[in-house]
Parts: sequence; C-alpha cells; structure tokens
Amino acid sequence: MRRVNWLGLAFLSPALVMVALFFLLPVVLTGFFAFTNMSTATGVTGGEYLLNTATLRSLADDGLPKDMLEKLASGGYRVDAEGLAALAAATTAATAAEMDRLHGGAEFAERRDMERALKDLRDNAIRKTRERKAAADLFKRSILNERFADEAQFAAALAETGIAPTHAAEITAGAYTGWAWTTENVSLLFALPSTLRYAANTALYVTLTLAFSVGFGLFLAITTFYLPKGQATTFRAIWFLPRILPPVLYVMMWRWFTWDTGFLATFSGYFGMSPKNWMLDTSYHAWTAVVLINGFVGSSMGMIIFSSAIRAIPTSMLLASEVDGASRWQQVRWIILPQLSWPILFITCYQTLSLLTSFEYILLATDGGPGRSTEVWSLAAYHTALNNYGGNLEYGLGAAFALVLVVMGLLASLLYFRLFNFKRLITTPLIEG
Amino acid sequence: MQLDLIDFTKRFGNTTVIENMSLSVHSGEMIALLGPSGCGKSTTLFAICGIHRIDEGRLLFGGTDVAHLPSQSRNVGVVFQNYALYPHMTVAENIAFPLKVQKMNRIDREKLVRKYAALVHIEALLERRPAQLSGGQQQRVALARALVRQPDFLLLDEPLANLDAKLRLEMRSEIRRLQQETGLTAILVTHDQVEAMSMCDRIALMNGGRIVQYDTPTAMYAAPEDQFVAGFLGNPPISFLSGKGLGLAAPGVTQYGIRPEAFGPQFGEGVSGRITFVETQGREDLFDVQLPTGEILRSIQPAGSGITPGTTVDWGLAHDQLLRFDQDGTRL
Ligand SMILES: Nc1ncnc2c1ncn2[C@@H]1O[C@H](COP(=O)(O)OP(=O)(O)O)[C@@H](O)[C@H]1O
Ligand SMILES: [Mg+2]
Repeated sequence: MRRVNWLGLAFLSPALVMVALFFLLPVVLTGFFAFTNMSTATGVTGGEYLLNTATLRSLADDGLPKDMLEKLASGGYRVDAEGLAALAAATTAATAAEMDRLHGGAEFAERRDMERALKDLRDNAIRKTRERKAAADLFKRSILNERFADEAQFAAALAETGIAPTHAAEITAGAYTGWAWTTENVSLLFALPSTLRYAANTALYVTLTLAFSVGFGLFLAITTFYLPKGQATTFRAIWFLPRILPPVLYVMMWRWFTWDTGFLATFSGYFGMSPKNWMLDTSYHAWTAVVLINGFVGSSMGMIIFSSAIRAIPTSMLLASEVDGASRWQQVRWIILPQLSWPILFITCYQTLSLLTSFEYILLATDGGPGRSTEVWSLAAYHTALNNYGGNLEYGLGAAFALVLVVMGLLASLLYFRLFNFKRLITTPLIEG
Repeated sequence: MQLDLIDFTKRFGNTTVIENMSLSVHSGEMIALLGPSGCGKSTTLFAICGIHRIDEGRLLFGGTDVAHLPSQSRNVGVVFQNYALYPHMTVAENIAFPLKVQKMNRIDREKLVRKYAALVHIEALLERRPAQLSGGQQQRVALARALVRQPDFLLLDEPLANLDAKLRLEMRSEIRRLQQETGLTAILVTHDQVEAMSMCDRIALMNGGRIVQYDTPTAMYAAPEDQFVAGFLGNPPISFLSGKGLGLAAPGVTQYGIRPEAFGPQFGEGVSGRITFVETQGREDLFDVQLPTGEILRSIQPAGSGITPGTTVDWGLAHDQLLRFDQDGTRL
C-alpha cells in the first residue's frame, strides 16, 4: 500500500516540479517583488550606502532641516592621523609632524581656514597655492560621494559629521542604494490617477472583447450548423485561422490593414479621404481595433466549443421542434441556445481569466496608445516593470500591478470552481425508473 | 382527416429506399406500418411529417397536396422513439412548446396544457424536468406534446420500443385509448407484430421499401398474401414444410404453412414425429415436433399434457387452416 503511494508520488514528481517551477514560483516571486522598491536603480541584489547631491535633494524634499543638509553637503576638515599620514607622504614627515603638533585633532568648517593653517606652519609652510589646495584636500572629511559597504561604516561616518541621531535613520535609508521592503507600491497603486484609468480600460477591454467573442462565436457556430457539412467545415477552418496564426503575424496584418499606407487608407483614398492611420488616429479606432483583434481570436475558440455543443444535441430533438412548428429562429432561441448555457458559461469564465492577463495583441497593435487610451492593467504592469521609456524599470511597482491580477485571478478561479461544481450537482441525471 | 400517400418514392443519394409506395388512411383510423428493421417505416413516417423531402409522388392531407410544405406548416403530432423531450424545459413547458411557437397567449396555453396533461395522466408531474421522469412518464409527456396542438394526424415512431415489458402492455392500451378518445387519425410505426395487431385497425406490412399487404389484423393473419406475411405474423411463428412429410400433395403447391394452433391431438391423427423441445409458457406449452423427413412442426397446446421431449406422437392437422404457397411464395 505504502510502496504504491511512493511509486505514484515518484511518477508525479516531474509534474510537481513543473508546477512548482512554472506555476507556483512566478506567483510567489510576484508577491515578493511587489513589496520591494526594486528598480533598475536599486538592482535586484543588495546595495551600498552613498550620499550624493541627488540623495540630498530627495532628503530635502522629504523635509530634512536645512542646517543638516548643509552639514552633510559641506562636510569639513579634520586633522587626524589618516590625513597626517597622507600629508607626510605628499610632502615631508617634518611637515606632517609640525601640523600634528600645532593643529592635531583640530576641525575646520571652511576650506579657507584649513588652507590658512597649512600656510601658517612656522617651519614647513606650504607656499605654493596648488600644493596647499592639494594638501587641504587630504584632510577633507565629507560623507558626500563616499561609498560605504555596510550600514555600520555609514553610521560611523554619519556620526562624525555631527548629525543629530534623531535624523540618522532617515538619512541612512535615503543613502541606501539597494532595494528595500516597502508597502509603498500598493499605496501608490491606489493613489495614482492612472491606475484608475488602467482599471477602467481593463474592464472595458474584457467586457467588450468577451461580448464580441461569445456573440460572434455563437453566431458562427449556429450559422455553420445550418450549412451543408463541407461548407461548414470550410467556414470553420477559415474562422479558426486567427487562433493558429502567430500573434505577431496576425497583428502585422491588422496593422497593414489600418496603416496610413495600408488597405483602409488606400481604399478610403478613392473617396477623397486623406490617408491616416486608422488604428491609432483616435482612441475610438484604437479600441475598435483592440476589441476586434482579440475578439476574432476569442470567437474562433468559442465557435469550436459551441459548434461541438450544438452537434451534441440529439437530432431528434431538433426535428421534434420543427414538427412542433418552430421556425428556425424559434429553434435557435428556445432549443439550441438554452442548451448552450453551459458552454457559454465555460467560455465566459475561461476568456475572462485569459483576457485579464494577456496583453500581447494590444502590445503589438497599439502598445496602449494613442496616449494611454488602450493601456490595460497587464500591459501597464509590463510597461512599468519591463519596458519603460524613462529607462528606470520599476520591478517592484510592476510586480504590484501583477499581484492585483494574480489576486483577482485566484478569486475568479475559486468562484468558477464553485460554479462548475454546482452545475454538475444540479444536472446529475436520475436513474430511469 | 383522410391521408393519401400516392406513388411515393424516397432516395438517399443513389439508394432508393422506397419506391412508388401508396397508402391511404381513413379519417379516425389507426394503422400500423409494420415491418422488419430497415424496411423504410421511419422514412415513410418522416416523409409524412415533413422531416424528409418527398422525391416523387404526392401526399394528400384531406385531399390537399402538402408534399411541398415544410414540417412547420403540416400540423402533425409526432412521438419519436426516444421521445425527444426538451431537457431544459419542465414537463409543462415541453407540452406547451407547440403552442408557444404559435404565439398562443399564456392563459389559453396553460388551459390546454392542463387538459392534455390530465388526458395522459401526468397532472402531478408538470413542474418536473424530463430527466426526473421514468420512461413511461416521458412517453406520456411526448404524447401530450404531440396532441396538444390538436394535430390532423398523430404519428408514432416505435413508441413502445424503449419501455420494459410491463409498461409496454400498459402504454399499448393507453395509446389506443387516447387515439379513440380524440378520434385522431394515427399511424404507428413498429417492428412488433403483436403491437400492430393489438393496437391498430389496419396493418400495412412493409418489406424492402414496399407495402406487401394492407389489411385488417384478422384478415391478414387468416389470409396472408404471401409467405413473408404469413411468416411475419403470428407468435409462436408459423412452420413452413414441403408436402412430403405431411403426406400432402397438390398441383403447384411447393410449401405448406401450418400455424402452431393448427396442429395437435385435437385434430385427430396422421402426422407422426418425435418431440424435440418443449417450452412452457404458463397457460400453454409449445412443442417442436420433428418429422421423419427432418422438418420441424410447431404445436401449441393447453398446459399440463405432461409430454416430455423424446416422446413420439401422432397428431392431426386442421386442414381448413392450412396455407398453401407456390414457388414464388404467393398464397394459392
Ligand atoms: N438519412 C439517411 N441517409 C441514408 N440512408 C438512410 C437515411 N435514413 C434511413 N436510411 C436508410 O433507409 C433505409 C430505411 O430506413 P428506416 O426508414 O429508418 O428503417 P426502419 O423501417 O427501421 O425505420 C435503411 O436501409 C437506412 O439505412
Ligand atoms: Mg425506424
């Protein structure tokens, strides 16, 4: 018994590995990325601590007091052992020794003061301005533009600048160049006005495309059902083409069709219309194209499912309805459609999920344009995380976009499972009595 | 209403399934289309209700040619072999369907549905769905659906084939009762001669796309036109023998047909043979008697004779019930 179980598990294990690798891991990673601030700037590995003018600016924006900013920016000069050793190397040991005697441990806020101290050495005064400037630099102790490998070193350096410990944490966080945990992505999603736009676009996209593909799929299935067999097969094969064509090729044809030198433009040119890009000139056209491009793909799938469902209806039932006096339309309306409710429900559920997450046709056709009018949620996730014109790819924010889809998909799947099981329950046939 | 099918021919592609068939059904009559499987009974029925196109010939409903009308405008009620109920509708909706497509208003519709549900005794089932009904109940629904539009003709395609033996008996008399109560002209398609004989006024016996004989059950049983008819009717079946074993001979006769009830001790003696098989049917016993020529004669006797296989008997024939056939199988 036990051995059989293990054997089964062994046979299953490749599948389990696959599931974990290709199904579970992406979801887990999405959840993980969504709560970080990863971007091109932070990289995906750890980082260093660095204060530069850009960090200072953002710290200023975050409301760090002005005097602290100045302290960080100006840094200052300190005559310490390190500086003296460097001075000894640059000039003479005697110079360094005198400097130590006169000013050892002294601090100068201004460069002017530091240089004067060097100039005013009694025995070893550095008279050449250029040398003096170089020597002064040896004692410069600014935290700015210096890289620190870990937080302890940065904290020590920060303490030396005399920054009040109350603001140390804030400055440390600002100086960190690596990624960090954050919930900001999620709050940003709710705060950005563009998010609402993407959500609305997605709702519109899913609703229209679904309506089109189910409606047109039904239309094709029913009309081909009443055609002679050979013709019906031919028609179905033609309408199935969008599904089996590579998306790039399929969308290329659409773009050729709507380009300003393409079919539509040329054709409308005969009627005196100036050529234009029919897909991207207005957002209405863009939406029409997006819905049609996706809708035709969806409807060919619907057509196949609905066709086989119609053919599964016993012929005698259709004949009975004709003998009962039903016209063709009444037959479709009262006999065929009600028996398709199950496949319609299935296609609706299935397509909703795939439409929510798939954006390749939109990406290839309009790329969310014109403007952002056809930018749907999944495309926004892609653009944010992987293809940003600004150059800074915000992996974290993109993942947060994607996480919303994952959550919605999971909820929808749960709902569908319930729905499908429920359906199975109520259609359990009774045993002939 | 009178139904006339005149010189009806039906082809599927290159195969001619029915050729030059004529059939008249009187108003209020119930007839059977009887014949072996594949002889074209359903094809004829489907041609009458308009499911199949009539390739040649005429179809008259009360004298009007309807051959070119679609089934929607023929006003016939059909009960299909598998009942063809609409699974997504309740019983009431199923019965109301022919009225609904006529756009009859709901109140009239419900009245008629109740009336016909009562006629077939399914008033209590109106809210159920077909899947929740037994075979017999489904059949009653199918009958009500066929009757509710008050059709000119009621056509039944093997209506009892899917029922168990007990239900079949029950529905046999039920269908006949409905037909007689409604006074409808009806055509019953069946391959079961008992059904045809017990339910119908006349039987059209078909073979190979042709009507071989069209007569009342009694006449057809007593005076079959040929050997096929004689062999098809009667249970247990008739035995065909050459005259030699019976000691009979007549000019032109090649085969004698003897029904089991025309051979037995009550008819005296004259034909002797050995009992090879005894089948007890309760009220009666059926015997197979092997003659010295090797031919088998069947005899049916009241139960309780105690005769066992192996016994040699000498029984007589009812000569007035003998059927004589020539070499083409035609009865003389
Ligand atoms: N739609 C069809 N296409 C081709 N042949 C058919 C079709 N329907 C019936 N036939 C043939 O016609 C003959 C008669 O069929 P049918 O009327 O159904 O017989 P039955 O007497 O058993 O009802 C059979 O040989 C059958 O194969
Ligand atoms: Mg049949």
